[in-house]
Parts: sequence; C-alpha cells; structure tokens
Amino acid sequence: MIKVIGLANASTTPATSRWTAAVSSDTWIVPTFLVVWCAFVVLPLLVLFAYSFFDTRFYATVYRPSFTTWISIFQSGRLEVALRTVRIALAVTAIDLVIAFPFALWLAKGSASKGTKAIVIALLTIPFFLDLSSRTIIWRAIFDQHGTINTTLLDLHIIQAPLSWMLYTEWSVHFGLIIASFPTMVLPIYLALSIIDDSLLQASADLGATPAQTLVRVIIPLAMPGIMAGVLLTLGPVLAAWVEPAMLGGGFVNLLSNSVESAYTSLRYPVVAALSTFVILLLAALLVILLLVARRFGDALSTFRVMRS
Amino acid sequence: MSVDALARHAETTRSRSSDWSYWRGWSSLAKWAGLILLFLIYFPLAWLALMSVSERPLSGVPLPLTLEHYQALFNDTRWVGPFEASLVLALLVGIVCAAVATLVGRALPSIRRPGTALLLCVLPLFVPGMSMGAALFIVFRAMLGVKLGFSTIFLGHFIWAFPFALLIILVLTTRFDHRLVEASADLGASRWQTFWRIEFPLLRPGIIGAGLFGFLLSFNEVLRTIFLRGTETTMPIYNWTMAASQQSRVPIIFALATIVLVITLPLLGGAFWLLYARMDKG
Repeated sequence: MIKVIGLANASTTPATSRWTAAVSSDTWIVPTFLVVWCAFVVLPLLVLFAYSFFDTRFYATVYRPSFTTWISIFQSGRLEVALRTVRIALAVTAIDLVIAFPFALWLAKGSASKGTKAIVIALLTIPFFLDLSSRTIIWRAIFDQHGTINTTLLDLHIIQAPLSWMLYTEWSVHFGLIIASFPTMVLPIYLALSIIDDSLLQASADLGATPAQTLVRVIIPLAMPGIMAGVLLTLGPVLAAWVEPAMLGGGFVNLLSNSVESAYTSLRYPVVAALSTFVILLLAALLVILLLVARRFGDALSTFRVMRS
Repeated sequence: MSVDALARHAETTRSRSSDWSYWRGWSSLAKWAGLILLFLIYFPLAWLALMSVSERPLSGVPLPLTLEHYQALFNDTRWVGPFEASLVLALLVGIVCAAVATLVGRALPSIRRPGTALLLCVLPLFVPGMSMGAALFIVFRAMLGVKLGFSTIFLGHFIWAFPFALLIILVLTTRFDHRLVEASADLGASRWQTFWRIEFPLLRPGIIGAGLFGFLLSFNEVLRTIFLRGTETTMPIYNWTMAASQQSRVPIIFALATIVLVITLPLLGGAFWLLYARMDKG
C-alpha cells in the first residue's frame, strides 16, 4: 500500500472523471452544510440589519419599522463618536499600509532567505491567537505617569515632570491599534506579492523602467487584490475595536464600541443593531471605493485573471 | 531575481540615471520599519512576563523581583472556573472545527461552484467581531429568547474559527491526488478503509492544524463572547473585566497571562512547524 502511495504521489495529473463519480455519494455534504451555515451566519446579519429599523421605548423593543434609531445614532453626540472612529480607523489603516506594503515587498521580493520568510510569517500569524487584553494592558505599565518610560526619562533627567500625553489619549489608542492590526495588513499583501512572476519585474527593468516606474506600473496593479484584502481586514476590526480604546483610551477616547457597549447595557438593542450595521456598511462602502480605485490602476478583474494563470 | 538585484541590474544598464528610486536604502528602510513593528508586537509579551515577577508591576520598574503574584494567583480560586470553561470550550471548538472542516474541505473542491461556496464559508473573516456578536445576540436573545450561555458562546466561536480551519484543510485537499483513492478502491478497500488508511494520514497535518487553530482562536476570543456569554465567564472575559475595573487585580492578571502564554506559545510553534514541514514536502 505504501508503495502505491509513493508512486501516485510522485505525479500530479488532474482528477479523473472516475474520482468525481466516486465522491458523488458525498455531494450532499457541502449543500447541507451551506444551508446550516447560512442560517447561523447570513441570516443573523440580515436580522441585524432589519432590527436597526426598530425602536426602543421604556426598555422594550417596538416592532414597527421606522428610521428613528438611525436618526438617533447621528445625533446626541454619537455623530461625533462615529466621525472620530472613522477618522482614527482611516489613520491607523493608512499608517499600517504605508509600513506594511514596503515590508511585504521586502519579504516577498527582497533579499530575505526562505528561512527568514518562514519565521517572519510565523511571527506575523502568532499574534492572532494571543489574548489581546493582556497584550494591550501591559502598555499601561509602560506609558503611565509612573510607568517605565516616564521613570526612565525622569531618572536620566531628560524631563522634569512626567509626560501625561502618552496614556489615555488618542495617541495611545492609535499606537495600540496600529500594532494590533499590523499583521492583518502584511499577510494578504505578502501573499499577493509573492505570486508575482519575477520575469515580469525583470522585463520591466530591461525595458528601461526605473524601480519607481516598475513599482507603480507593475507591482502595485498586480498586488491590488492583496492590498484591498489587507485594507478591508484591517479597517473592519479597527472600526469595531473594543479592547484598545477601553484599555488605552481609558474612557477619554470614546469610539463606536463604547456606544455599542452603553446601548447594550441599557437594553437598547436596535441601537446596537444600527451601530453594528453601520460598521458593516462603512466596510462595504470602502470596498466599493477600493474597487473603483483599483479600476483606475487597471481592471481589477484582469488582475484576478493574472493571479489565476 | 530579487528586487535588490533588479535595482542593481537597472542601475548598471542606465548608469547615468540619477533617479531617486535607485537609492539602495529603500529596501533596508522597508525591512527595519516592519521589523520595529514586529518588535512592538512581541515586546509587550516579554515585558508582561517580566512584570509578573516584579514587586510593583504598575510602577514601570521591574525590580525588585518577587513571586508573590503567582502565590496570590494560586491562593485565589476565582480564575479557575473561567479557565476551565475556556479550556472545555476551546477543546470542543477545536475538535468540531477539525471534523467539520475535514468533511467540507474534502467535498468542496469537487462541487460545481467551489468559489461561491468558499466565499460564503469565509464571510465571517470580513465581518467585525462586534457586528457578528451583536447579530447572533439579537437572533438568539431578542428574537428567539434562547438562554445565553455555553452553547451560544460555542456557536459564536465556531463561526469565527471555522473559516481558518477550512482554509488550512483546503491547502491539502486541493492538492490531493485523487488517484490514490481510486487505486485503493481498485485494490479492494472499502470507502471507510480508504478514508482511514489513505486520506486521513495524508490530511493529518491539516486536520491537526485546523484543530489547533480552532482551539487557540476560541481560547482567546473576547468580542463575540461579550455578547453571547449570558452569565458564563471565560478566561479572556475574566482578564478583561479584571483589567478594566480593578487596578489592584492587575498583577494577578499579569501572572495568569504569563502562564497562558507559556502554554500557548509552544503549541503555536508546533502548529507552524507542522504546517511548514508539510508544505516544504508537498
């Protein structure tokens, strides 16, 4: 039996029609799973959207469709919170993109060896599995008035009074979010860059393009799907960031998650639904904008076709 | 050919060009900016471990060292319940993820429109945790009136972890040589025998990877759990509430987080070793 495996493994011709016939008895698995999956994933998202058109009175939900909740989330100071969230999220995503794209380019096409690549990719993936609140709270001990940085600077007589702008400000929230979302930006861009054929870059240089021209005309258009995935995967969690603003903002930097939390604890579920839907709609709007931008850089669909071949 | 080599090549062919983009420093600038961020990701972990043995963990100066926080941790039993709940949940999510992802991952490449089905399956990756948690909360609590607790947390975690598990399994099943199955059938093996003796051993790295990812994603999940927990408390939620509300409890959280790190980091290292060892062979 082992011999058979070894022989068959050595060659890689596509599946034959007999295999398709052999699994035909398994064909119920995927449709059945998809039905159950949609019931638990897609349906709740639709319900969430529908719920945002209800209203709350006296701690009870009024099941009559109206725009009351939607109007209310753009009033009473929540608009300010929403705008601040969008501003911080865009800034964090932009900074991450500016650092992540060159880094991914170095990783994929630079001088990094195969071992270095594997280690960096592993290091980028591991943070997804570590508890965010304990990773974030430690910055408090570093940035605090009596924290590591202030104590060190005071002892070295570089500053006379402890710096107070480092913690519980927008600066610390930006800082925490940039670090936490860096891997989600690098990984998709790296994947898109690593499948670009080196001969294309060679051809571009041979035809007399400067590295900058090669970057703008060849590399960026080909990496566009990865860039889009990176931006979406970063912006989503940042818009809905819960841990970082609470731990590093300390109640002074309220984001959408704080609004959701207060609505949730006061049982105003339609507000929770509307704010959560708002985040999803923002992401969808961004996807459309990115697709339009990508079209300017070259037809996005043709990019996908290049990737497949 | 690397970008550096490319740049040098272009430089020699157009030596008179003084374009700014030929500057060699771009490459190392890109490298070091990224590595600094990587350092900022891992530095807190090391600092956390150091501060967990510090006498005044919130002071910023690690010295003098002490083990009293670990002692306090073991004298205080309030974290044991959440820890057990998280462990059981994570084990369940890992096992169920591995099993379902194997089933779906085997069948997915051979269906008529694998792209659409795959897109549906990885949809939760693109929905922020807060939104997904709120959506499930509204369906279960506000619409159906289900009592929130262990089972709803499990569901939320499963929906979060399944796309990762499926993608890992698909790496192996899309490259699977299906003539092996055929050969096994020709040699008289039953379908069950074929699965256990041919497919399972070949897919095993992926199945273990899927299970491990499911375990770890569930073990550290916060956002969905906040909405779906009811009165149940998991480890990350315990850490979160303690860290958010009581300053005096923070040293114990440091000790607890360090212990969890010491357990999860080798597991992750193992998972990646498995994946890369496998990918290099394939």
